[in-house]
Amino acid sequence: MKVLAAGVVPLLLVLHWKHGAGSPLPITPVNATCVTRHPCHSNLMSQIRNQLVQLNSSANALFILYYTAQGEPFPSNLDKLCGPNVTDFPPFHPNGTEKARLVELYRIIAYLGASLGNITRDQRTLNPHAVGLHGKLNATADTLRGLLSNVHCRLCSKYHVARVEVAYGPDTSDKDVFQKKKMGCQLLGKYKQVIALLAQAF
Amino acid sequence: MGRQTHNRLVQRSSISAQTRASGSSHGEQRTPGRTHGGVSEEWLVRHLRPRGDRHFVSRFGLSVSSEPLSLNVSISSAQQRLHLQWSVHNLTHPELKMAFQIEISRIKKSNVIWVENYSTTVQQNQTLHWTWESELPLECATHFVRIRGKEDDTWAAQQRVWSSWSSWVKVDAQSLLGQGPPHIFPIDKLVEEGSNVTICYVSRHNESNVSCLLHGQRIPREQLDTHVSVFTLTNVSFISTWGSNLYCENDPDIITGAEPGTVLFVSKVLEEPKGFSCETRDFGTLNCTWDPGSDTDVWKYPSQRYALFESFSGKKKSCEQKNWCTWQVAQDSQMYNFTLIAENYFRKRSVNLLFNLAHRVHPMTPFNVLFESVSTTNATMTWKVHSLGNFSTFLCQVELHGEGRAIQQHNASSQVDGQYFFSGLAPATEYAARVRCAAKHFWKWSEWAGQNFSTLQAAPSKAPDVWRSVRSTLGSCNVTLFWKPLSKSQAHGEVLFYSVATENQDRLSSSKLFSIPAPANGTELSLDGCSHQIRVTASNGAGASPESVMVIAGDPGNPEVKEERIRGTEDGVSMSWKPPAGDVIGYVVDWCDGPQELSCDLQWENLGPNATSTVISSDAFRPGVRYNFRIYGISPERTAYLLARKTGYSQELAPANNPRVYISNLTLHSFTLSWTDYATDSQPGFIQGYRVYLRSKEEQCPPGFTKAVLPDNSVCCKHDIDNPEQKTFVVENLQPGSFYEFLVTPRTRAGEGPAHPFGKVTTREQHAHALIRIILPMVFLLLLLTVLCYVKSQWMKETCYPDIPDPYKSSVLSLLKPKENAHLTIMSAHDCIPDKLEVVNKPEGIKAQFPGARKSLAETDCTKHDYIYLLPTEKSSAGPGPGICFENLTYNQAAPDAGFCGPVPAPHTAPPGLGDLLTAPGNLLRSLEPSYMNSPGETPAGETTLNYVSQVASPTSGHKDSPPTNSLELAPCSEYRMQMAVPLGLASPSPNENRSLSSMSLLDPGEHRG
Repeated sequence: MKVLAAGVVPLLLVLHWKHGAGSPLPITPVNATCVTRHPCHSNLMSQIRNQLVQLNSSANALFILYYTAQGEPFPSNLDKLCGPNVTDFPPFHPNGTEKARLVELYRIIAYLGASLGNITRDQRTLNPHAVGLHGKLNATADTLRGLLSNVHCRLCSKYHVARVEVAYGPDTSDKDVFQKKKMGCQLLGKYKQVIALLAQAF
Repeated sequence: MGRQTHNRLVQRSSISAQTRASGSSHGEQRTPGRTHGGVSEEWLVRHLRPRGDRHFVSRFGLSVSSEPLSLNVSISSAQQRLHLQWSVHNLTHPELKMAFQIEISRIKKSNVIWVENYSTTVQQNQTLHWTWESELPLECATHFVRIRGKEDDTWAAQQRVWSSWSSWVKVDAQSLLGQGPPHIFPIDKLVEEGSNVTICYVSRHNESNVSCLLHGQRIPREQLDTHVSVFTLTNVSFISTWGSNLYCENDPDIITGAEPGTVLFVSKVLEEPKGFSCETRDFGTLNCTWDPGSDTDVWKYPSQRYALFESFSGKKKSCEQKNWCTWQVAQDSQMYNFTLIAENYFRKRSVNLLFNLAHRVHPMTPFNVLFESVSTTNATMTWKVHSLGNFSTFLCQVELHGEGRAIQQHNASSQVDGQYFFSGLAPATEYAARVRCAAKHFWKWSEWAGQNFSTLQAAPSKAPDVWRSVRSTLGSCNVTLFWKPLSKSQAHGEVLFYSVATENQDRLSSSKLFSIPAPANGTELSLDGCSHQIRVTASNGAGASPESVMVIAGDPGNPEVKEERIRGTEDGVSMSWKPPAGDVIGYVVDWCDGPQELSCDLQWENLGPNATSTVISSDAFRPGVRYNFRIYGISPERTAYLLARKTGYSQELAPANNPRVYISNLTLHSFTLSWTDYATDSQPGFIQGYRVYLRSKEEQCPPGFTKAVLPDNSVCCKHDIDNPEQKTFVVENLQPGSFYEFLVTPRTRAGEGPAHPFGKVTTREQHAHALIRIILPMVFLLLLLTVLCYVKSQWMKETCYPDIPDPYKSSVLSLLKPKENAHLTIMSAHDCIPDKLEVVNKPEGIKAQFPGARKSLAETDCTKHDYIYLLPTEKSSAGPGPGICFENLTYNQAAPDAGFCGPVPAPHTAPPGLGDLLTAPGNLLRSLEPSYMNSPGETPAGETTLNYVSQVASPTSGHKDSPPTNSLELAPCSEYRMQMAVPLGLASPSPNENRSLSSMSLLDPGEHRG
């Protein structure tokens, strides 16, 4: 897996900033202590659910905005160019325990946040006039950041999980233009699919 | 590096249209299939003549064949270029001119697609370079390259022979792709608009159903080999700076998620810069500008750039902007020869400009613009110009603006300090002046530099235009003065006040002075006697204007002048007058702009002494409004006297309303229309007459009328009245009893009034008076008869329709008389054997009736009658009924309803042995009597009563109007009188009977009907 772009890494560093940040993030041993910088909200799960619902409600619009902005052949070949063919996407098991589901959610949100950062960066250059798409991407990224923080808070406060090993999608900075567009479209197709599952699971 | 030459010998390819090289020395184009020799990356496309193969002969007579060795080929995938590097061993001289022949094959070695001769001077141990750009992406096919060489010196032409070929060098870019999904090449290709592009689809599998689309358009396909398809786009066009998506798929129905695509970037063609120009503003910097034309940059490949090259100095500068660039002026350089080079990835264009610096001077904007010595009519403007060293003489242009337009424009030569003297200015006026300068050798004007200033005030130059309105009453004179404000050019400043001096002409010592502050435009004076001289001046801050003098005559001297009508024209109201006998110094025409009845906005116009006509126009004139004009002559003594009165309209209109018309003198054949209250003077035009319309069912118009068609296309008759003072009209020769519609509408020069509403009238009927003579007496007669009948109604009733007919008076009797005896026809009471009794069931409510109140028919209907048959019949055997009636068969039909029977006290039940009792009337009476006597007033309501119904009228049967005390009241609703069952001999009433009947009537008076 390739190193993430410069725009995504600082974000994750901020979210995970602790002693030893930058190193792989394994699941915290059971006896390790986990301290959050700020006290967590009492209705954290409710907030997480609301954020998932909010993301789910806007995912399709984001997907449509994206493939429309790319131009042909994307709108007319969605199944081939924008199918959710993301091989290394973190798994999610809706029947697991809450802790397991939260850990998987954390991995997925981290993956999506990084990928969305790549897409946002690419689209600024590939489609600089698609202001609506940029705004939607930024808004989604903001919500993902908040969701990631809340999940982290929940994991830390209730399950004392301070670190979760996460994986990120491929970096698109060295890809050709068509590949960037296609990978972004596939990722957003996957995002639309996964976020619906997550909103239902929580 | 030595001179290099290229000579392409063979050009073969399956995609022949794209394997070509071309170029130009000015605005050259770079296309695929070209070759680059040497180490430099500069594009050096040169066309050389082909040379035939010759053996190389060394200078020393030794024939040496130099074989290029160490051929190395590298790939530049993005640029689709093959870079060849080789070195020559065994050079016979340290420096030797050599020719090389390079062959390039595609797919297989025998398929040579490119052969080129390349000549250069080779030095010992030198590595030679040569570059070839393929029209087909190198990943699409395997390429093979080989090279050979020979010495190429002219002196040894006879001995030059080619060396042997180097080994084929295989260039296989496909091997780098691995076993992944299919690919498209080139990736993110930049091409120039109008060029051709070759795209290939490379797959590891044998895919023959591949299609590629650009903007939904399928691209022609060519199979290069079993797993490579080639698509050729011809004459591509610019679509977007951000490229166009190109997408390929093998089978539209199979989704693999690995369908490849690419983005094609099409750049516009670089244009030659237009309007290239350079100038200096300070002799320090040259500013060069041009129009670059279309922007050829695309998002991913920005390559459009500009550079300035000055040939005298040999300096070159890259420009940061695409449309302008600066150049530092050298102190000792006057002449400049610039070349502007425009360049992008595909083309290079240039334009030249040669000029003398002194001829390209664009001075800076003048500054420090000031005004000195500003008076009422003059001013001096001064300014400064930025120094240009030795070039310090300027041509300047000054402009003076007043009231928004340029009123003066002058050229002035100046040094660094310039000035200009403006004269002929108006006092107290604001002006704007501006200046701009150019170098002595004109190139461009500088920008304008300006300043506003105002001249000083002066006394008003003209006397105010004054007029008056005079009203004399009882020796005093009320004079209203009006004056027009002075124009700006006359006032020479803001007028502060007006001075009015009056001087009694009869008493010269009596004079008064009034000061009226501005902006008043009049004043009212009450003078002691009308003979006054009035002088008016306007004053501003600089002084007073000349006097305006007028004399009010003591004797008005205005004889009654007849008013004349005048006509309005497009230009105004035109009028003329006869010049008076005496001398005049001018004329004044005055009028009221507003409606005179409301407010007279007095207006006047001064005319010269020779004027005898004028056209008055005013923005206040409104169509349809009558204006009155007075024309005054002004005597040399400044006295005004009335010459003429005119009245007219600026534009006449058709009347808006029709007069109210009254009808009088309606006869069989005529009627009179009158509209005497119609005011002709207050109409929107001079009334020229009236038009009378008449409409009827008759087709013929009365005499004096003609056919006319109204605006609604209805046909009617019309008659014109040409005298506007005639306001009555008799419509004659009409048909009696006919319906007519009429309309009277006034006429002005502009037209007639509205064609509605029509009045309605019907002429008198011819026989109406005769009918009245008959009908009236008949009505009177009928009325008399009615009154008579009413007065004699009782008599009439008794005579014509008595309540109970007298059988002796019956007409039936009269019919029988001649035939039979009277006794046979009239039934006697004693002959009557009662056959049944009528028992009347009285409802309870009857008892509650007020004494004396009459019972209605409906109420009496409630009384229930039953009959008891006194004679033994089959029907009576069914049982006794509640009442007993003596049914008179003669009047059976006359008394069908027992309800008309009056109440009769009756026992509650029939007495025992009733059947025997009823066998004789006397028994019956006797058996009933106690009940009558004992039960007055006690018979409960609803109880059964017993009536005897006799067929015989009582001899004493009174009329219902008879007093109750004198007669026996009988059943009110019956034509039969209630009777007692008495023996046959007692048919006549007895006092006892009367009493008993009276008591019975008291019992229930409501049952009696008068």
